[in-house]
Amino acid sequence: MLLNSVIFVLREVLEASLIISVLLALSQNQGLSKKWSTPAVIVGLSLAWFYASQLAVISSYFDGVGQELVNAGLHLLIYIFILLTIVLLKYPTIKSFAILTMICCVVFASVREAAEIIIYLAGLSSMPDLFSSVLIGSIIGASIGLSVGILFYYLIAYARLKLGLFFGLFLLVLIAGGMVSQSIQLLTQADFISSQSPIWNSSFLIDERSLFGQLLYALIGYESTPTLVQFVCYSASVLLAAVLTISTFRSSSVLEKS
Amino acid sequence: MARYTFLFLTGLLMFISFVAKATPIIELEIRDHLFYPAELVIPVDTKVKVKITNHDPTAEEFESYELNREKVIPGHSQAIIFIGPLEAGIYPFFGEFFPKTAQGKVLVK
Repeated sequence: MLLNSVIFVLREVLEASLIISVLLALSQNQGLSKKWSTPAVIVGLSLAWFYASQLAVISSYFDGVGQELVNAGLHLLIYIFILLTIVLLKYPTIKSFAILTMICCVVFASVREAAEIIIYLAGLSSMPDLFSSVLIGSIIGASIGLSVGILFYYLIAYARLKLGLFFGLFLLVLIAGGMVSQSIQLLTQADFISSQSPIWNSSFLIDERSLFGQLLYALIGYESTPTLVQFVCYSASVLLAAVLTISTFRSSSVLEKS
Repeated sequence: MARYTFLFLTGLLMFISFVAKATPIIELEIRDHLFYPAELVIPVDTKVKVKITNHDPTAEEFESYELNREKVIPGHSQAIIFIGPLEAGIYPFFGEFFPKTAQGKVLVK
């Protein structure tokens, strides 16, 4: 159970950890306050606890696919707030409002990822013979996920201003695309989008189950067997985010700390 | 106008109920961290609605990389997952919370 717990918790923590660290590093890069992160995570965890406690009820909504719709909604909201963050950073007079959009991203990401961990740990806490190894595995998984996030934070926050900003925004664009891709997959699972055959299978190159595959999944929404709808939506969302990012990056205000 | 709206809504409801009825339902149960049946057989190119009942007090997560499906099923609750239409083949799935015991596969033929 120890190894299973490491893998499970790592998968969940990694995604949220990357979003939080990239946004936090961009705050540092742009001379914005970083004090927002702890309250945002606390609010996110509180809402995750509520979501986890109500999951059975939520799942039963919309003919049994309520869970998919809420999760797809959370991913789409993260995408929208990432776009707003990118746009707000362009304008010096309203740049500080980017903190609000960053808070929304972190809250939604924490809800999405932490809820599953809460359900997992709550269920296994009733099995005392397994729980200690599950807890140790979860702590190891969370530590690895947080360490990767911290690594990315330092890479962006302490790089030269222009390089850090470019790298941070570049990662944000890819993360944004991954959010849309996951949302499409959930809507397909809920039968709101017709299921299609995958347009390719790259699992022989990078297996989604591997550690590298998991990192790519969290970072760029890597999917070894994407459908056409998923690929088109992913590409369109990345393109839109990239266009906004280029516009922000070209603005002189982002190359001066506020 | 109201008449056309009524006719449209009636037609829409009939269409939705037709589509809903047309989707076969397959039952899957989770008991003692095992899937019953461990092998689901579904026809080629057919969308099915898998109704999963978790009889355990603990939650389980239905996961399949091959099917691109992932869903948490809280303890003592039911969940719906749509799968297919699929090509012939074997599509493994597992319970992510208890992957050593909760194993199964979808056989499409």
